[in-house]
Order: sequence, then C-alpha cells, then structure tokens
Amino acid sequence: MSGGLRIGNREAEQVHASCQTEVEVKHGVGLHARPSVTFTRLAKSFPCSIEVAVNGSDVWLNGKSIIKIMGARIRKGSILKIRADGILAEEAIRALKDLIERNFDEEKKHGRTA
Amino acid sequence: MAAPLRLKATGASPGVASGPAYIAEPLAAAASLPSSVSGHTELADAIKTAIRELQDLATGTDPESRDIIEFQIEVLQDPTLAEMADARIDAGENVAFAWVGTLDGYIRELECSEEDQLRARAVDILDIKNRVLSVLTGTPVDDFPAGSIYVGKDMEPSRFLAHDWSAGGGIALYAGSAVGHVALLARSRSVPMVIGAGRFATEGGQHIGVDGDSGLVILQTAKEKATPAQFGHPVTSTVSTADNGDLRTADSSQVLLSINVNAPDDVDAIPAATTAGIGLMRSEFAVMSLSDAANEEKQFAIYRRLLAWADGRPVTIRMLDIGGDKPLSGLTEMSSLRGIRLLLARPEIARVQARALLRAAVFGNLRIMLPMVTFPSDVEDIRQIYREESSELARRGVLNRIPPIGMMVEVPAAALMLDAFQSADFFSFGTNDLAQYLVASPREDADFALYQAQAGPALLRLLTQAVKLAGGKPLSICGDMAGDPSRTADLLAAGIRHFSVAPARLPAIRSAIVGLNADGTKAAGE
Repeated sequence: MSGGLRIGNREAEQVHASCQTEVEVKHGVGLHARPSVTFTRLAKSFPCSIEVAVNGSDVWLNGKSIIKIMGARIRKGSILKIRADGILAEEAIRALKDLIERNFDEEKKHGRTA
Repeated sequence: MAAPLRLKATGASPGVASGPAYIAEPLAAAASLPSSVSGHTELADAIKTAIRELQDLATGTDPESRDIIEFQIEVLQDPTLAEMADARIDAGENVAFAWVGTLDGYIRELECSEEDQLRARAVDILDIKNRVLSVLTGTPVDDFPAGSIYVGKDMEPSRFLAHDWSAGGGIALYAGSAVGHVALLARSRSVPMVIGAGRFATEGGQHIGVDGDSGLVILQTAKEKATPAQFGHPVTSTVSTADNGDLRTADSSQVLLSINVNAPDDVDAIPAATTAGIGLMRSEFAVMSLSDAANEEKQFAIYRRLLAWADGRPVTIRMLDIGGDKPLSGLTEMSSLRGIRLLLARPEIARVQARALLRAAVFGNLRIMLPMVTFPSDVEDIRQIYREESSELARRGVLNRIPPIGMMVEVPAAALMLDAFQSADFFSFGTNDLAQYLVASPREDADFALYQAQAGPALLRLLTQAVKLAGGKPLSICGDMAGDPSRTADLLAAGIRHFSVAPARLPAIRSAIVGLNADGTKAAGE
C-alpha cells in the first residue's frame, strides 16, 4: 500500500507543471453563453489552476469562472493567453487550445438534435 | 349524558366554532430547528438542490432550452460567485441576503453591459437567484388539519397564515393576548378565538368548541355530532355599499373608510368600491421568512396585485414591521430591534423591499408607510435609501417612482412631536402599540387589556393633540381602536377623519360614522 502511494506521488510530480499558450479566437460571435460554458466546463475538468488574459491585458481571469470568461468581451480576433499551473497543466493547455481552434465544437453541436 | 364542560376564557375574536382539537407542540421544540448548519453549508446545499432541479428540467427539452439551463448550471457552479457569497456570509450577512446581494451585483453588471447578448442573460441569472432563494426558504411550519380547533399556549402568526381557515375551525389559547398579532389576524379573517383559558386537559382529535362571543371553551363529554349546524361562522352581513369608502357624518363632514390587509388574498372577497382603498397593508404577514424578504420579485408581485385590486385607490404598504414579538423566520439575531430600527440596522432587508415598492409604484396609487418611527431622522434615513435605490433602478433602465412616504404614529415620542416630522408625507395612528408604550405594559401580557381600557382618556388626549400637530397632512387611524364602533365617537371628536379597519368591521364602522356628528355627538333623532 505504501508502495502504491509512492508511485502516486511520483506521478503527480511528473505532471505538476506550469504552462502557457496563446491562441486567436475565430468563433463568429465571440465567447458568449454556450462557448463559454464549453470552455469553463473543460477547464474545470483539470485539477490545475487555469487563468486567461485577453488581448495582452495583464489581468488574469479565472478560467473556470463562467462569469469572468463571459464578461471578458472575447470576440472574433481576440488573442487569448492561457496559463495553467499544477497537476495536468500541459494537458489542460493543450485541450483548451484545441477547443478554441475547433471553434468550441459549435458546428458539431448545431448538427446534434437529441 | 353529562352536560358539556364549559371553561371560562376571554374572547379575542368573535364567533363560535367547534371541531377536533389539535394540540400544538410547545413553542420551544418547534423553534430549535436548523442553526447548527453553517451558512456556507446551507448555501452550498441549496445550490446543489437547485442544480438537481435544473438537471431534471433539462432532460426532455429542446436544445435551445437545454443551452440556457446548462448555462444556468454553470453559473451556479462558478467558483468566483461562491467566493463572493461566502465572503458576505463571513462578514455576518444572512445566507439568503448574501446570495441575493452577490447575484444582484452580477445581474446589475449584466444589465448595464453594452452588449445585447450579455444584457439578455440577466433574466437567466434572475431565475437562478430566485430558484436558490426558494430552496433556502425557511423550514415550513407544521400545518394542522383544516377545520380543527387549535389548542396551545400561544400561536405564531406564521402558523395562522399558513393554515387554510376556509373549512372553519377556531383557536383556544391557554395564555395569549387579545391584542396580539394572532388575535388581530383572527378578527380580520373571522376565525373564532379565545385566550386565557388556562391549561386544560384535552386530547388531540377530541371534539371541542370555542365561543369567542362569550369567551368560553366547551369540552364535549360526548365524542361526536355536536350539532355542527349550530356552530360555524356567524353570517357576516355582506351588504356592499359601493360608496368608495367616502362617507358623510350626520352633519355632512367627509370621513374616509379604508381597509387593513395582511395577506394579498385578503382582498379577494371585498369589492374595492366599498372602500377608500387600503389604509394599511402589513407586509410582514405577506413576507413571512427571511427568504421572502430577500425576494424582490415575490414582493413586487404582491404589491402589484393589491394595486390592481384597488384600481386607482390608495394602497398603503407598511414596510416590514419585524422584530420584537414579530420575529421573521430565519432572522435570529437583533431580535431586540423592531420596525424601522431593524430596517435601518439591516439595510439589505430594507433595500430589497424598497426596490419592490419603487417598481410597483408605477402601477398605481401606492404609498409607503414606515413602522415604529420615533425620530424625524428615521424617516430621513429611509428616504435616502429610496433615493439611492431609485436612481440605481433608473440607471439600469428599470421603471420606478418614489411614492409618498408616511409613518405610523405608534411611539409616544413621535406622537408628541408630529410637527417635527417634515419629512413624512402622511401619518397613521397605530393605537395598539401607542397604548402599550403609554401604559408600560407589553401587550402579550394578559392584563394589558385592562390597562388599555383604563388608559383610554390618556390615549385620546394624545391623539387629539397629535391631530393638531399634524399640520393638515393626511392622517388616519389603523389600529384596533378604529374598528371598535364604541370608540368611533371619541375618535371623531379627536378630529380623525380617516378610519382604516379590518374588512369584517366595515359595516359596523360605516353605520357608526353616519349616525354621528363630526364632533362625535349623536345625530339628532337617534
């Protein structure tokens, strides 16, 4: 049991990181309710802290807060800086960047009618 | 068969009723409900419940509605929102107000946004604000079977109000007070009630009777069939006089007759044209928990409903008169403060009500009345809150209007100094409290009625003097004294020309007024 714990710790150390990226928003209406929900939900699925700064601003917003993200006036053409700190930071940055580049899966959503 | 046992008690509300006894639990047991749960946990639990409700709603709706619901759920799970609410709780705010304050801040931000898309979200946030608020609503009081006779030491006003009295029934209290709030409610709803019966032995479900006319509790020895036809509500004369409450004394002086209202459905059975409007709406009986007090929309709806009923006639809403012997479920601290002092000490309560009233004022002839005012600064301080909230609403583009703001005259220090209250637009005498503070006896006290009767001349002298000091501002009386036809002559003589009474008292006071001269003397020929 103690062995398992040690392995767990080592793994945690391995993935604990600080990571940052920059990405341009290409979504037509900017980051309104639905894409914001998609973004913060994905952000919240990672244990690390995630922060977002818009268009070179030095104000870092909590990337897990829909209120902050939706209020950040992110539009088509906005440049988002995303930084993550903690466990799975690299994976988080990669996933969020992918989401923005995939246009928040909006096309897929429109196609789906359950 | 043995004759029924009759116990001597004191009538507090006329009429005769009988039914199975409901023995109330002692108050102490009912009062020790949550309080052990921290505000943070309470809010977190309420939010979780609200999310579950939304998830249930989301299944089986169209994708557009689901998007909105998903957005609402995401906001409920927003970490910054929780931090803000928790900070307010740590600063000593009550959970409901911490939640409302946080969400109102966000709603205001959205409403003021330059982007249509964001402004449109405000209503979604309003919806979740109210959803969590209704989950937070204080623990519901135990109701008892309709038609039964409530037996207990005392009765909480909230319990009276939560009960369905349409099937009859009555109240028999071991202790209690004829001028307490439940007695007042019982009279306004014509529920027979006796007080001061002393502790008597009866079992739950046993058939008993209450005679509020002669002040008796009738304990049946026989189990059933106590000729029910003979009991029940006395037939109140519902002779509707569509005079708009605009009466003339025998010598042709104008006297107005309005009604006192507690719950908004009190007015349903009364044609507005038989009254000069609502002279007193006791909002604390419609806003019964701290969560209601935090609920601007619910209050707005209640006030609008009364204004619609009044159809242009004045509707006087008294701000929450809570504290002291009128606790608000959920508000435990500061119970020593009452009326306007509590409102000023807890401005977050006053501000929610102020906003609801400011918005409702656009829809009719609304007036705001302040409870338990002692000093002119009380009125000025509340006015400042109305000014601030009004400009804030206007800034958000919400239609509103500052209506006339008047005050209850029920504290002797105010009654003696009415000429100093420039900031009050009108006055209304609350004789129950005025008498209580004049004779230095709490009105829950069983002997209070005796003192009150003895203090009649002192009270009338105070009223007469106060009428002169009012300087021609609109002035009325809404205390129990106004609904007692044996006092009408004295009140007319004191110079009072506007009476506001429980709806059931309308016919008695109407006929008393038209039979008297303006100076209170009997009309010639009577």
